[in-house]
Amino acid sequence: MLMLKLAFRNLLRNRRRTTLTLLSMLGGYLLVALLNSVEEGSYDQVLNFYTRDVTGHVQITAPGFIERPNLHRTVPADESLLNQLSDQNGVEAVTARLESSALAYGEDKSFPVAVTGIHPEREAQLSLLVDKLTAGNYLTSDLDESGFYSAMIGHAVARQLSLGVGDELVLISQGADGSLANDLYRVVGIVGDADSMEARQVFLPLTAAQELFVLPEQAHRVLILGTDYRRATALSNQLALWAEDTPFAEAEAEVDPWQVVAKDFYDTMEADKEGSVFASYVLIFLVCVGVLNTVLMSVMERTREFGVLKAIGTSPSRLFMLILLETQMLALIACALGFLIALPANYWLTHVGFEMGEAIEVSGILFSHYRGQMSVAVFAFPAVVIFVAAFIVALLPGLRAARLTPIDAMRAH
Amino acid sequence: MTAVIKTHQLSRHYGRGDTLVKALDAVDMTIEPGEFTAIVGPSGSGKSTLLQLMGGLDVPTLGEVWLANKAISAMSGRELSDFRRDHIGFIFQAYNLIPVLTAAENCEYIMLLQGVPEAERKHRVQDMLAKVGLSGKENRRPGELSGGQQQRVAVARAMVSQPDLILADEPTANLDSHTGKDLLDMMHDLNRNDGMTFVFSTHDPMIMERANRLISLRDGRVEEDDRRVR
Repeated sequence: MLMLKLAFRNLLRNRRRTTLTLLSMLGGYLLVALLNSVEEGSYDQVLNFYTRDVTGHVQITAPGFIERPNLHRTVPADESLLNQLSDQNGVEAVTARLESSALAYGEDKSFPVAVTGIHPEREAQLSLLVDKLTAGNYLTSDLDESGFYSAMIGHAVARQLSLGVGDELVLISQGADGSLANDLYRVVGIVGDADSMEARQVFLPLTAAQELFVLPEQAHRVLILGTDYRRATALSNQLALWAEDTPFAEAEAEVDPWQVVAKDFYDTMEADKEGSVFASYVLIFLVCVGVLNTVLMSVMERTREFGVLKAIGTSPSRLFMLILLETQMLALIACALGFLIALPANYWLTHVGFEMGEAIEVSGILFSHYRGQMSVAVFAFPAVVIFVAAFIVALLPGLRAARLTPIDAMRAH
Repeated sequence: MTAVIKTHQLSRHYGRGDTLVKALDAVDMTIEPGEFTAIVGPSGSGKSTLLQLMGGLDVPTLGEVWLANKAISAMSGRELSDFRRDHIGFIFQAYNLIPVLTAAENCEYIMLLQGVPEAERKHRVQDMLAKVGLSGKENRRPGELSGGQQQRVAVARAMVSQPDLILADEPTANLDSHTGKDLLDMMHDLNRNDGMTFVFSTHDPMIMERANRLISLRDGRVEEDDRRVR
């Protein structure tokens, strides 16, 4: 207790210096906390949208399909199997997609397109496709009064083929059985704009795509949405176990989290994150240099006193601990104050955020605000960094004090 | 009787070659328990250096110091600080109190290091501060005390942990004669009544008068060692 008192009073003896050191630490805490919050918040926004819209949290695919997509690499996707999958713990939504390419014809032009067969109702529960509709209506599984399946087309397809809502679209491709696949569809909606990733796409009801490509009750991807993209690996493991007793096992299907499905995207995000962490470390280093300076000054000024403490029996280790205690106390106060300031600031960042100079589009969704993330890690990480930095900074002055010869120290002025 | 301190060919040199200064030169000395010894001599004779080496505050160039039959050179930094904590009390000319601790806390500090229980610490501090005439000033910090009062706190700090030996470096040099005499009387009483061993480095005739052993140093060597029976 007396050591604590001694450490605390030592901090109070030069209040200006203590305040400056405290401000350095506090500034470091706030900058790292808020920077971390915005980074995590932005990643969270992007990953949440990306996994929701593009990959789902987990996918079931045929072996090798992710690396080399191929018309023949399919997995079963009948309604009862998808329903069983929907009933699993932690599963919020399930859908299936069938993907291939085709040549599309309009009035008098042709255009190569990517064809995606989707389950309209299930897709609407899982992805954001329905929100990207810019004209017409969303897809239905039913045939229209003329006996045509409906189709949604991307902006580029509509422009190239001069197609609008209500027009007829012809698709020609190859069926899985080697036959010539062709059919006529009614355009019911147009999605996205010229820059959207859907620009060159044609969306068909899953049953229509299965008929076109002669893949009854088959799909290339079964997408699963869980409760949180961060829990995708756990969900993937859980579903892999479940799949062992289902028709997926017969197809030797693979169950993968989004990190595997979109490996390049994931790696890019991770590299970007590492870059941000590096920026945080540079910031902390600068704070450390400032703090080291003041702690070292405080130790140098008290050299004589340390000599006395050693002379009357304070062990080198206890003296070392005293210096450490002083800096850790400062770190504690800085982190406590930092938390009190960062909490409302981060609340605002999370719920309001600040506007970007120019909105960015990810997967057809516009991001107009930088937002923070309210999590334990956002507040704990800078605290750990400040405590560790304070410890490292105190090592040199602490060792210097511990190694002093009492009489030399007492001769110091 | 086991000597409290023994030195053998104790030397402390500064510089080298032409600038070599022998602050202490081959001093052999034994301090027995219960002695009230004054080390005297002109400035630069090596009094303070001898005291610092005896207390393990400095490292000799040559020779050896035995504290309770253990050679200082054989002690690690930790052992030496523990030894000082448990067996030696220091009184410095410049008081050297910890400025951020109160008078009571300055006295309590060493006992805290020794692991003395809190209740006993408080009791002993109260007693000792009363003995040195500082009752009622327990909660004052050094900056709020006069020089004489600070030196009393320093004496109390040195004695409260009940060391075997007190090394006092010119303890009355910064005090007026009246305060100096009071302090000296108090230390003399402790020596006579409790058998506490004192070694002073001093110019003060009052200390020399009361000392039962007078060691004169000149140019770092013992010139005279006078044991007096009182």
